[in-house]
Amino acid sequence: MDAQVEIQLIAAVVAIACAIPGVFLVLRKMALISDAISHSILPGIVIGFFITEDLNSPLLILLAALMGVITVVLVEAIQKTGLVKEDTAIGLVFPALFSIGVILIAKNANDVHLDVDAVLLGELAFAPFDRLIVSGTDIGPKSLWVMGAILLITIGMLFAFFKELKVSTFDAGLSAAMGFSPVVLHYGLMTVSSVTVVGAFEAVGAVLVVALMIAPAATAYLLTSDLKKMLVLSVIFGVFSAIAGYWVAHFLDASIAGSMTTVLGLVFLIVYLFAPNKGLIAVMYRQKQQRTEVSLLTFLLHLNNHEEKSERHVKHLNEHINWQKVRAKTVLDLAERNNLVRIDKNIVSLTTKGKEFTDLALEYIITNKDEKIEHMKDDFFLFRG
Amino acid sequence: MSESKIAIRVDDLTVAYNYKPVLWDIDLEVPEGVLMAIVGPNGAGKSTLIKSILGIIDPIAGSVSIYGKPYDKQRKLVAYVPQKGSVDWDFPTTALDVVMMGTYGKLGWIKRPGAKQKKAALEALEKVGMLPFKGRQISQLSGGQQQRVFLARALVQNAAIYFMDEPFQGVDATTEIAIINILKELRKAGKTVVVVHHDLQTVPEYFDWVTFLNVKKIATGPVKDIFNDDNLTKTYGINYKVAVNQ
Repeated sequence: MDAQVEIQLIAAVVAIACAIPGVFLVLRKMALISDAISHSILPGIVIGFFITEDLNSPLLILLAALMGVITVVLVEAIQKTGLVKEDTAIGLVFPALFSIGVILIAKNANDVHLDVDAVLLGELAFAPFDRLIVSGTDIGPKSLWVMGAILLITIGMLFAFFKELKVSTFDAGLSAAMGFSPVVLHYGLMTVSSVTVVGAFEAVGAVLVVALMIAPAATAYLLTSDLKKMLVLSVIFGVFSAIAGYWVAHFLDASIAGSMTTVLGLVFLIVYLFAPNKGLIAVMYRQKQQRTEVSLLTFLLHLNNHEEKSERHVKHLNEHINWQKVRAKTVLDLAERNNLVRIDKNIVSLTTKGKEFTDLALEYIITNKDEKIEHMKDDFFLFRG
Repeated sequence: MSESKIAIRVDDLTVAYNYKPVLWDIDLEVPEGVLMAIVGPNGAGKSTLIKSILGIIDPIAGSVSIYGKPYDKQRKLVAYVPQKGSVDWDFPTTALDVVMMGTYGKLGWIKRPGAKQKKAALEALEKVGMLPFKGRQISQLSGGQQQRVFLARALVQNAAIYFMDEPFQGVDATTEIAIINILKELRKAGKTVVVVHHDLQTVPEYFDWVTFLNVKKIATGPVKDIFNDDNLTKTYGINYKVAVNQ
């Protein structure tokens, strides 16, 4: 394999390994914790590196992952005192641990191949230089093997404990009552997240690893209402951004980590704008429709409530409902197009259909009985969800 | 009461949050086959009582038994409906999937739900009149529909004892009647149902057993015997009539 292919392969494996725990972090509203972990594992990495002299050693990964779990414990302990909120606790814990790591690096900078730049942004481009040699044969870049192993463990855990993770994320109370301890699952997830962050750290650095965990899940969340699909979509977005980011970096001669993060951000932005249901444009369109329909209903109600012709004259409608002329005209046209009203010598009256519509809508609004308006839901936004 | 079995027994239960007692030395016996309301003012510890019976909160003193054994030995006999507001209804899942979660407890760790569990979930949805909405995302359901889904999830657990935390909160009148009818059916089938309840006016109509709670247990027993001004005053203070007429 040439180095280019190897780099993309590592990036893709890292992206998948990050996307999976990321989905659960996002759903548990714990995105910030991944940021904390990715920074506070640094002292673990530095100490592990002093001992093993090898960034890919399993001992180093375990030490650093332990730091990740300690971070979570510390955050929860501080939060439990009730003196500060969770975000404050996170903000207190991780910079403290991170700075210990930074000092440790600075104190030993001369003998150690580890610098703060690499820690923050990773060195994906150099990953293929560190080979795994088994009995004299080169079997590929070390970080690919390490990340591959972490990914397999993550996937194994996901398949084994999918149902438990789902129920404890959705309803911790039920999960506890059923005997699936939310605490055990929480720390299980934190451990997997920590190990993943440590493994991905060397390749993509402390900043991008957060993006790889959170952005794909946040993007997928906008597109689906099914947890399994959300996992699959997150993986697809992660891998796409990793590989596209690599090529952007290649052509711009820029940082790989930076380009990957930028692509992740762009993908999120596009989905945020154009997602069919939760996207910004869809939401704005829906709100506009709803506004129009509320106006229509107000208008029909007015006609329903007033027998007297003066209240129903085309020319004076706007005065009676206190609307601008244009709005009154738009709503009148809409009602007429839908055969809800008829105009006879400039006097507007409800048609039978209009009367039925008004009665049904009123009854729905008063009683909230869904079954009555089931057939209207396809035609009118007002009655959807 | 001596001839009937005791479904739930609570002995000397004390629970504290940050050293402030929210339940103080509770003794409680709930006989099998009753439909019981737990009533009391806000902050009386009603939800906490249920949660500590279910092992969700650790008490600082006392013990709980379900049919004579500790709760963790009897999990499969118990179904639980938490407060509707305690979960995130934007979670990416469908009504059917939420009901399926009710089957997880009996499956235990790792085992996946299969066709049998799905069939049971569909039947439970049918029972609460939510079958047409089985594929709908849960955030697209009305408050009453969400509560019905929660009830279906409890039904699918096919338990002996049901705990429900304010199942009538934020639901429409139709749903309230539908829910209480199902709870009465459960009682007819010999199940024990414990409901945290807010609306004092409906207590005599819905329930046959009641526990008055305000940090300490005030009284427990048949509604016809103990649902009276004396106990209401002890629980809510002299202004309880305001609470009744709310």
